[in-house]
Amino acid sequence: MQLTNLIQLVSGGLAMGAIYVIVALGLYITHLTTHKVNFGQGDFLMVGTFVMLATRAAGLPLIVCVLLTLLVLAVMGWLLDRIAIRPLERKKTLKIGAFSWILTTAGIALIVQNVIEILFGKTSQYSPPLFSSQRDHVIQVMGAGLFLEEILIIFAAAIIVFMFYGFMFHTKWGKSIQAVAFNPEAAQLLGINMQLVKVGVFVLASILAAVGGILIGPLVTINPHMGLVFTIKALIVAAIGGFANPVGILVGGILFGVFESASNYIDSSFGDLYPLLAALLIIAIKPSGLFSERQADVR
Amino acid sequence: MFANHPAAGVKRNRYVYLIGLVVMAVWPWLPINGFYVFLAQTFFYTAIAVIGLNLLLGLSGQMSLGQAGFYALGAYGSALTALKLGWPLPLSILFGTVIAAVGGALVGVFALRTRGLYLAMTTLAVGYVLDILAQRWVGLTGGTMGLMGIPQFENMSWIPAPTILFYLSGLALLFVQLIADYINDTRAGRNLRAIRESEVFAASVGVNVSRWKAVIFGFAAALAGLGGTFFAHQSGYVGSDAFSVRLSVALLIAAVVGGLGTKSGPLLGTLILLGIVELIAGIDKYGLLVYGSILLVVLLAFPKGAAGILDDLLAKLGRKPDPSRSESLAHHDLTANQAKAMLTRLHNDSTSISIKGISKSYSGLKAVDQVSIEVASGRVHGLIGPNGAGKSTVINMVAGIYQPDEGSVYLGSENLSGKDVATRARMGMARTFQNLQLIEGVSVLDNVLLGVQSQHGLGRNFLKWLLGQPIEVGERRLAMEILAFFGIDHLADRTPSELPYGHRKLLELARAIAQQPRVLLLDEPIAGMNAQEAKEIANVIQRLKDSGMTILLVEHNMEFVMSVCDRISVLNFGKLIAEGTPAEVQADPEVITAYLGTGAQS
Repeated sequence: MQLTNLIQLVSGGLAMGAIYVIVALGLYITHLTTHKVNFGQGDFLMVGTFVMLATRAAGLPLIVCVLLTLLVLAVMGWLLDRIAIRPLERKKTLKIGAFSWILTTAGIALIVQNVIEILFGKTSQYSPPLFSSQRDHVIQVMGAGLFLEEILIIFAAAIIVFMFYGFMFHTKWGKSIQAVAFNPEAAQLLGINMQLVKVGVFVLASILAAVGGILIGPLVTINPHMGLVFTIKALIVAAIGGFANPVGILVGGILFGVFESASNYIDSSFGDLYPLLAALLIIAIKPSGLFSERQADVR
Repeated sequence: MFANHPAAGVKRNRYVYLIGLVVMAVWPWLPINGFYVFLAQTFFYTAIAVIGLNLLLGLSGQMSLGQAGFYALGAYGSALTALKLGWPLPLSILFGTVIAAVGGALVGVFALRTRGLYLAMTTLAVGYVLDILAQRWVGLTGGTMGLMGIPQFENMSWIPAPTILFYLSGLALLFVQLIADYINDTRAGRNLRAIRESEVFAASVGVNVSRWKAVIFGFAAALAGLGGTFFAHQSGYVGSDAFSVRLSVALLIAAVVGGLGTKSGPLLGTLILLGIVELIAGIDKYGLLVYGSILLVVLLAFPKGAAGILDDLLAKLGRKPDPSRSESLAHHDLTANQAKAMLTRLHNDSTSISIKGISKSYSGLKAVDQVSIEVASGRVHGLIGPNGAGKSTVINMVAGIYQPDEGSVYLGSENLSGKDVATRARMGMARTFQNLQLIEGVSVLDNVLLGVQSQHGLGRNFLKWLLGQPIEVGERRLAMEILAFFGIDHLADRTPSELPYGHRKLLELARAIAQQPRVLLLDEPIAGMNAQEAKEIANVIQRLKDSGMTILLVEHNMEFVMSVCDRISVLNFGKLIAEGTPAEVQADPEVITAYLGTGAQS
């Protein structure tokens, strides 16, 4: 493998990895506070790509398209909490009890897929680039031809991840979320609105899925059933970080993206499966993820 | 077969199975369209897969979003060996089932180490990987184009080929349903339900959680695989499209719609699923919408599923869904004599607990520091201390949930270091939990039976059960006696959720005693109780003490501790600050300081 190939692989891997990180952070933030995640997170990302596609096709300015996409997904996040998460809290006696949210959020995912399929058709489509004028604008970096779009997406993703950490650790909202995660009752006594935080994290998670969708649209072909694989990868990236360690998620996501890019290059037919299997193996050996302590279940 | 509640101890009629058998025998000979034979075959093999999923999800609480993967393993395993190697169908079907079971057991390795969310994620990913392999490994599977000409059953003299597959899959379903019902009715079902409630709880009654999880996971996968093998030989064609996540979802829908954790649920659910499939065949465009909506509506509005609704209906019509199980025991005179005899026997087995210099740190913070406690055989020993003193950590190290960083715990003369919760439970350590642990949704009696040691092996009772004879009679009698000892035998048929809090605590104690322990650990036995209920518990503990039980208890309520304990150890900030009789401890200045604080610079 030549150096130029390597640079191309790493660049492509970084772009995808950064997007996995953003989507997985959505899972992390809801798991932190509610111990639940959206099993349709990838499908929400898919909706994001299609809203972008539709709004851009309508000729709206880019910034309006982005804001509209974020808004649509924010509303979907709110609806998700309202329809699939909150009603279950009153049903403690359910047989599968603790895990029925997996099936209700998956149910929403199926509905969302079907609606997009009806609106846009089953076939794969291309989303216009965000930053550069055409899809295959190539620039030269150290002798390797890289897609400008890819480079800019890496930068955009880096900024968003940075903003997320700033939000989580340096704002009042972020601290409320952590307080609820640490001890819901104490947080409530301190005047934090629990219900607001709980719905807030799902809205935030959906917005992160939207961001993932906006960024990934120009990199891949999009179709209504692309979501599942992103759900799986986001879950796995979050699990590598132990679902509780945002730094672990960052490292895990980037590693996953780069590994995937390399294994796709080496084996074009099954390459995308290797990182999945490797990650599953890691989780089997070290269920707490790469970076966090295992906690015993004491009930 | 269509009853919700297990009723193992009473004579049950077995007509339902016989009726099923007769209907199955005549069905293909009725003057009906061949399509209905085909449909019935589909019903049989789908229901087999759904029964597996119901045992996994409904009974054991283990989520699988990847059953389609195991179904595919079975289908390809059987199709390929029959097609390419020319194996006879019975052998290839067996092979496909075994391959799926092996695949399931491998994933079960994940199940051993993870739970809930992780398991859902892992099974989803594994199902996805298998789906992709089926699609892309064209040389082996034919991909989306599929495998053609898979051998099918051939006409046997006067029996046409479809009828042979019909009978085989039908008999397989009947057999699987019998096994599932037997699991539901007996010890296996109780253990799996305990795992569903909480794994630590299950381990604390001596259940080897990892092994049970792996076995039930492998079993569910084998059933999915068995379903897949029949599917492969039904029409002689298998395409990879059949095994997408959509199939996993469909099987889940059948399990959920039918009623999770019920016996008849999988059959009802499969019927409904096939109905839905036929219904949306015309409007395939909206298939996912229908699937998704059904999942939502059923989980939110009818979580008990069709079986639950049917039971409620029958109950409303004045028909009890099941014969009351205490009826069969009513003629016994419940004097609790057997329980008393058991307690006397336990007295002789009763032993001491020696905690020798154990410490535990959490990320640098010493939660427990060099604590030694000697609980003499037949004594009640209290462990007290202000909040955060490390009491729970100590009792969890004794029970084996945490391993101490240093020091050891001895049961009698046996060192418990390195032994897990279940092993300690089987060595004679029983416990109750701070936030009490019971199996909800089954009877009080079944909860006590969870603790009772089985007198026979798992398979031993199967024939008796099949013939409708009472089983586990000895165990049930002992459990009733223990309930009588605690004065709650009249509640044997109720479910725990129908009991007031105090009785639930008593029930938990009864279950612990049913384990025939050599020592008993009680974690805050009267937390959240009113004075009357607390008095009742104190009374019971007194009676257990009189019969020689060794008890280590953690409790906040001073009056209670002082009245029931022989000796008391006091913890503060992870260190032992006092030890002695209640009177000595009460007079200890350091204890008073720990509880009341010091006066300012006094």
